[in-house]
Amino acid sequence: MKFYVCIKMVPDVNAPLQIKDGKLIQDADRQILNAYDASAVEEALVLKEKHGGEVEVVSIGTSKASETIRKALAMGADKATHIVTEGNGDYDSGSYARILARFFEDKEYDVLSLGKQSQDTDAGLTGSMVAEMLNLPYATNAVGLEAEEGKLIVKRQGDTGQEMIELPTPCAVTCSNDMNEPRIPNLKGIMASKRKPMEQVELSSLGLNEDDLTASTTVLGYEEKPEREAGKKFEGEAGEIAREVAQLLDTEANVI
Amino acid sequence: MSTILTHIAIADGKIKRSSLEVLSHCKQLADQSGHSVEAVVVDANASSFVEGIQKYGASKVYVVEDPIFKNHMNTPLLKALVKVMESANPSVFAFASTEGTKDILGALAANQNAAVLPDVSSFELMDGGVKAKRPVMAAKIISNTEAKGDTVLVSIRSGSYDLAENETSAEVANVDFSMDDSELKATLKEIISASGDTIDLNEAESIVAAGRGVKDEEGQKLISELAEVLNAGIGASRALTEAGVYDPSLQIGQTGKVVSPQLYIAVGISGAIQHVAGMANSKVIVAINKDPDAPIFEIADYGIVGDLYKVLPPFIEEIKKIKN
Ligand SMILES: Cc1cc2nc3c(=O)[nH]c(=O)nc-3n(C[C@H](O)[C@H](O)[C@H](O)COP(=O)(O)OP(=O)(O)OC[C@H]3O[C@@H](n4cnc5c(N)ncnc54)[C@H](O)[C@@H]3O)c2cc1C
Ligand SMILES: Nc1ncnc2c1ncn2[C@@H]1O[C@H](COP(=O)(O)O)[C@@H](O)[C@H]1O
Repeated sequence: MKFYVCIKMVPDVNAPLQIKDGKLIQDADRQILNAYDASAVEEALVLKEKHGGEVEVVSIGTSKASETIRKALAMGADKATHIVTEGNGDYDSGSYARILARFFEDKEYDVLSLGKQSQDTDAGLTGSMVAEMLNLPYATNAVGLEAEEGKLIVKRQGDTGQEMIELPTPCAVTCSNDMNEPRIPNLKGIMASKRKPMEQVELSSLGLNEDDLTASTTVLGYEEKPEREAGKKFEGEAGEIAREVAQLLDTEANVI
Repeated sequence: MSTILTHIAIADGKIKRSSLEVLSHCKQLADQSGHSVEAVVVDANASSFVEGIQKYGASKVYVVEDPIFKNHMNTPLLKALVKVMESANPSVFAFASTEGTKDILGALAANQNAAVLPDVSSFELMDGGVKAKRPVMAAKIISNTEAKGDTVLVSIRSGSYDLAENETSAEVANVDFSMDDSELKATLKEIISASGDTIDLNEAESIVAAGRGVKDEEGQKLISELAEVLNAGIGASRALTEAGVYDPSLQIGQTGKVVSPQLYIAVGISGAIQHVAGMANSKVIVAINKDPDAPIFEIADYGIVGDLYKVLPPFIEEIKKIKN
């Protein structure tokens, strides 16, 4: 099976952040491979190991994104395409989806795999947008994948249960991190990644210009969340504090 | 005057409360700005929900009824919504942010060339579009975002708005729908449902959530007992859904569900940002953890520092007494 996995470099949500005049200030170096995309790469590698085929990763981003791409190659992806952009502050899911759809338009593949959402924005739109633009059958929020001749079997997490969905290939799928534990690249993988092909593609060579990519959403600014104050902390004999809190939930908080 | 359309999601034969929250808010927005608010329900028994929808102020209800909608499938749902959008021509189409919504929102936006704001915690209308607050960076901060366009899709986190009844005698528009198997593209093979009649976490007044500190069956039994005396839903951290101890649909957090009950009791949960992302809007948070420095205490209204195996039995006993 030929897999294309779309991977994105995102800011690490665990890094300290600050808001100044509505702008987000964060260490620009703390960028990571989106966790959901790491799971998508892992699952493609597992299926390739089982059934043969090829795993190619595609990422749209600035030159820095090549570090993220190397990570996926070090995990075991065979090759990569880096669609290079100048900045990426102004693009939204719709912009990225248009680029991806254009890139895949004339490609041959069995499965287009994406993360279910970007870890920093939690948008969760790109996957189904690309599927719709390419008129592919798709499933989102996959927690398990199986491949059969000409089909991808997706277990997806729905609102109350899990749905087993059979998609004819070519198809698209978005992956949850509940699917697997992505492998940590070992030294051998890291060394090998340096020799793997990474093709760089310019937006203009895809026939796209900035106007085609104008986002329909704009971030006006960031603000702090109304802070939750830490309340009372109870330490001491278990029975005593347990009973005390139970009483307070009744008399003070009025929730039982 | 333009139209705000709201999607009414159905689960287990009932209207999802989060959809009615969205409808309530849209009704208020429509009244303020002189727009009309309409609703669409897509289900195998769609017409049976019209009355429930009328209570919340929709002036017109689009009903798409077909056996194919017995279970969620993206292709038929998309087809139905596209059809309704084409006749309602809404300037805003609002959804509750359910897994069903997340499955189709991007595709619908692409199909209709609409702007889209997913998973917002509040939104308002502005000239030529919508302005919304979106929790980002694992819900650590809020991004003020606007979407411009003739049509804007928006999905709203559950618990963002209160219900407000507003009885109307809505006009009912039955929408013809048919789809043959060849159009389906995907096949739904099987549904593996969460065991038993669990309480919908999005609607639960109280939630007892278990984390890695709940180590064994004895611990799970205590969790069940506490949930039972409180009539609470049971939720879990990723540590325990991943280990297969609790059903994956009970996961709360960034990957799992976003909940906002009156009472949230986190038992043996450390309070990683990705978990907190799903529960920080609970009204009252209780944390039970043996590590006094666990981050969950930073957001807990009542923090009990102690071993859950020692704390829960007297806690449950005391609540039983209070309840009697
Ligand atoms: C992209 C991404 C998305 C994620 N999404 C989610 C999500 O949706 N939901 C989620 O929950 N996690 C999510 N996670 C994982 C998250 O980062 C944490 O790993 C997870 O929440 C930890 O679960 P926990 O608190 O149960 O376990 P731990 O962090 O291991 O904490 C266990 C706690 O139990 C306490 N404890 C142990 N024994 C006892 C005892 N006897 N009595 C009392 N206390 C005890 C310990 O002191 C500790 O604080 C996500 C991670 C990533 C990267
Ligand atoms: N710049 C990008 N490059 C490659 N893939 C992307 C990019 N942006 C989004 N994606 C894919 O789309 C998924 C989710 O998109 P989002 O709509 O941002 O939540 C990610 O997990 C990636 O698989």
